[in-house]
Amino acid sequence: MAILEIKDVSFTYSGQNHPALSGVSFSLEKGDFALLCGATGSGKSTLLKLLKKELTPLGELKGRVEYGGQSVYELPDAVSASCIGFVMQKSEQQIVTDKVWHELAFGLENLGLSSAEIRRRVAEMACFFGIESWFDKRVSELSGGQKQLLSLAAVMVMQPDILLLDEPTSQLDPIAAGEFISTVAKLNRELSLTVVMIEHRLEEALPISQKLIALREGRVYAFGETRKTACALQKDSEFLPYLPAAVRLHARFDTPLPCPLTVNEGRRFIEAAFDALPPAAEISPRVHAEGKALEFKNVYFRYAQKLPDVLRGTSFTLYENEILCVLGGNGSGKSTMLRIASGLSKPYAGHVSVFGKRIRDYKNQDLYKNCVALLPQDAQTVFLRNSVREELKGVDTSAFPFDLTELYDMHPYDLSGGQQQLLALAKVLSQKPRLLMLDEPTKGLDANTKAQFANIVRQLRQGGASVLIVTHDVEFAAEVADRCALFFLGEVVSSDETRAFFGTNSFYTTAVSRMTRDRVANLSTVDQACALLKDHRRRA
Amino acid sequence: MRPIKNPRLRKLIRFAVPWVLMPGLVALGIAVFHEKRYAFISLCLAVLSVVLFASGFDKKKTGTRRLVIVSVLTALSIVGRFIPFFKPVTALTVLTGMYLGAESGFLTGSLTAALSNFYFGQGPWTPFQMLSWGMIGFVAGLLASPLKKSRILLLVYGVFAGVLYSFIMDIWTVVWYNGSFHLSLYLTALVSAVPYTVSYVLSNVFFLLLFARPFGEKLERMRVKYGV
Amino acid sequence: MNAFDEFNPLSVFVYFLAAAGIAMFASDPVLLSLSMLGSVLLYCIRTRSSQRGTHLFSLMLFIGLSLINPLFQHNGVTVLFVLNDNPVTLEALLYGISAAAMIVSVLYWFRSFSAIITSDKLLYLFGLVSSKLALLVSMALRYVPLFKAQAKNVDAAQRAMGQYREDNVIDAIRLKLSVFSIMVSWALENGIVTADSMAARGYGIGKRTCFSPYRFRGKDALLTILTLLSGAAVCILMGLGHLDFNYYPATDPLLFTPARAAAYGAYLLLCLLPSLIEIGDALKWQYLRSKM
Repeated sequence: MAILEIKDVSFTYSGQNHPALSGVSFSLEKGDFALLCGATGSGKSTLLKLLKKELTPLGELKGRVEYGGQSVYELPDAVSASCIGFVMQKSEQQIVTDKVWHELAFGLENLGLSSAEIRRRVAEMACFFGIESWFDKRVSELSGGQKQLLSLAAVMVMQPDILLLDEPTSQLDPIAAGEFISTVAKLNRELSLTVVMIEHRLEEALPISQKLIALREGRVYAFGETRKTACALQKDSEFLPYLPAAVRLHARFDTPLPCPLTVNEGRRFIEAAFDALPPAAEISPRVHAEGKALEFKNVYFRYAQKLPDVLRGTSFTLYENEILCVLGGNGSGKSTMLRIASGLSKPYAGHVSVFGKRIRDYKNQDLYKNCVALLPQDAQTVFLRNSVREELKGVDTSAFPFDLTELYDMHPYDLSGGQQQLLALAKVLSQKPRLLMLDEPTKGLDANTKAQFANIVRQLRQGGASVLIVTHDVEFAAEVADRCALFFLGEVVSSDETRAFFGTNSFYTTAVSRMTRDRVANLSTVDQACALLKDHRRRA
Repeated sequence: MRPIKNPRLRKLIRFAVPWVLMPGLVALGIAVFHEKRYAFISLCLAVLSVVLFASGFDKKKTGTRRLVIVSVLTALSIVGRFIPFFKPVTALTVLTGMYLGAESGFLTGSLTAALSNFYFGQGPWTPFQMLSWGMIGFVAGLLASPLKKSRILLLVYGVFAGVLYSFIMDIWTVVWYNGSFHLSLYLTALVSAVPYTVSYVLSNVFFLLLFARPFGEKLERMRVKYGV
Repeated sequence: MNAFDEFNPLSVFVYFLAAAGIAMFASDPVLLSLSMLGSVLLYCIRTRSSQRGTHLFSLMLFIGLSLINPLFQHNGVTVLFVLNDNPVTLEALLYGISAAAMIVSVLYWFRSFSAIITSDKLLYLFGLVSSKLALLVSMALRYVPLFKAQAKNVDAAQRAMGQYREDNVIDAIRLKLSVFSIMVSWALENGIVTADSMAARGYGIGKRTCFSPYRFRGKDALLTILTLLSGAAVCILMGLGHLDFNYYPATDPLLFTPARAAAYGAYLLLCLLPSLIEIGDALKWQYLRSKM
């Protein structure tokens, strides 16, 4: 019997004419792991919220949402609260209390359980999730990954049958995201928990899911077993960018071979489909400008005298009219480097110069006048007014490679993540910077928005800007960067032109590179791989 | 107990309890224990009134969103207390009272005092700070509609709140030290506190002047969009 | 770990209320001295390392407070000298010293109180009055570090966007105001999502319980009983007027009546309770270690 059944659901937000969802139907069995995908505005978040009584937005609903044969809107409060769990996108917003133990107990307190019962359940959950070592900590002391894990544990402690997750890894770095997804997979595998997850990182999530639901303009575009549905979706240009690299590569060729999902399957697909490959793709060397937009020479920095160095002799150069991506793990010092490059912190040794002038010689805020601007990681740190129009008052937007006029009457907080990012970028660009710095610009963006953002960055470079990007996102770096640098423990350990950079790295590289590296070196994106592979099809 | 039907009477009682009954009890305590140490009596009263208020709050049904907003505003004003010299605490409390009601104003004011003193030092003054900041927010809630209408009145209230806060805290200081009220000591305390009083008044006027409108707009959005 | 910190927060709270409360109520010089002894001893035992700065500050405060009274209060029969046509009397000085002892000892009690009653324990105490209030406090405590961190981010973002036009004060104030305004918006919008998260986990569906990791054990009961007994003894004797002590017009002589002696004994026990607990615990561990 289906545990969750959606029957012909249509939904229109109050005050709007156009339905957000129309005629959505599907059903899930107990223990299913379903992924929900679709573009921004396809209604996937709305659908997920409709599955949870407490989060149902205001509006007109038709059709039925059934949990175990009963409408979820008629479930008793306590059953609804405990049986259907919901994990939100930002753990900062989901977490209610100040201590880890209290957060775990919060839901159980609401159910009115006794202290002894709460103690037992909390202890059990802390053991399962390995939270004991930080059980007594304050929430503010946790890392991003730990916070999201705590959000999950605080929901799981109520022993739900169905777990709904709304882009749970969008704010995490790749390592924490991988850990989070495997924790969810473990819950699904070991506890037969039914999971419905909206997720952008399909590279990791798709292979472990069993069902895939694709939404388009409020309708179910495709629904079914993951592999079959993913293969069907690769014919569609709207969904293709969301799918894993192996699927995207497979989609470029008309082949009877089955569609690969993982890197490993992709490698086998290449082996089966192509032969007589050259040892390496040729890279035409890039000529960079002579002028230096930003130069770090042996820079040392620490936050306080007693603390260890964060930057230990960092040296690198960003030439004018170039896009440089700085990659590296958490705590590698790349964010600190950005603070120093944008004049927010001062190093205790070494030289930092911007356009040939020492950064400390810029006086009276001259550094920020037509010179340097930083797009912060969190776009919401720049919104001051009540509408996009007021935010952009006095800003000449005509020269920007994107258009926000459609959004002028909206409140900045009502925009989607991608739109907020563009609005923040517009505000930053209003200073007409010659050196633009971007801090994790793809955090939380879906594949299409990411591609759009990459385009914008390239156009800005064409307009003469130099761009420094700090990111975890290797796929984005491979798409957009001219050169890449790897940060490790406060030092640049390697830097090279993008293709050579990913060609030499074995682990810290793109999915395409990992698929192809034992046959052909220097391939890092699907486009590059296709350009080379198309001439080497294996004759049948 | 039968609820009081007449809204006027109810309002009068709500006003009378903190402003007439409490000082009255303090005076009575002083008269009975004419020995000395009124400080302790007033301390007990301050604690008692805060506790009474808290238990009243527990029985009332508060929407989840409103509860969160009150905690957000409390945290904001605690953070605001770290700004040197210009402190938006009173202004935030007044605005909370105005836009979210007298009770929320009291809670924001008194919890800010209690919690921020973890960073600024707890002492027997904590209950008094709780009571005076709480009352500033509470009265702002009672006077919400005139304060919203007239900017001048709002500023006057800001000045009044700043001066009154200083006067009350100084009374407490003198009573605590001397065991009874002593006029010349009090005047000296007031004079020595002038820089603080001026900073309270200036911050209140400054922040109310600058915050009243944007803050109102932000809370209005909360009301329209989320029904807080 | 200090032994006294391990007691149930309610017992500790009642203890400090009694010890500091009696000190604030007392005028008897011996009671005030006992309060001084107990509070300073507890503070020294708990902090262990020398807190010279704190003690020096307290000493200065003590001297300052003692001297203020004779300058303003001219009652008393024993004139020490005349300053600006006003007599400075011995009685006023003694009264000043007693007030200073009261204030300084209460400050010491509160120092230990703040160190022991952490925000967690305060939350537990709030929870006894109202579970809703306790939740409100917990949420506010969660938000304070979050907002501080976010305020830093907002400030950095605004600066690196070039929102400071010049290096001057007006511009700095203007920017700080924008930062605060951005913070208010952000915090409110964030709060709405948090409210959803609370609703999703069943907040407001019925009577809430208040989970706490603190239990009320035998030793907590013992501490509370001892506190209440000794505290009540002092209070009753005080209420009956056995501990009255007048400074004006002439200082009363200190007469050791049986009632006084009993009150001193009871208050001595009260003031030394936590210190005795700490010392007893230290001795017990020394003994256990020698057996290991």
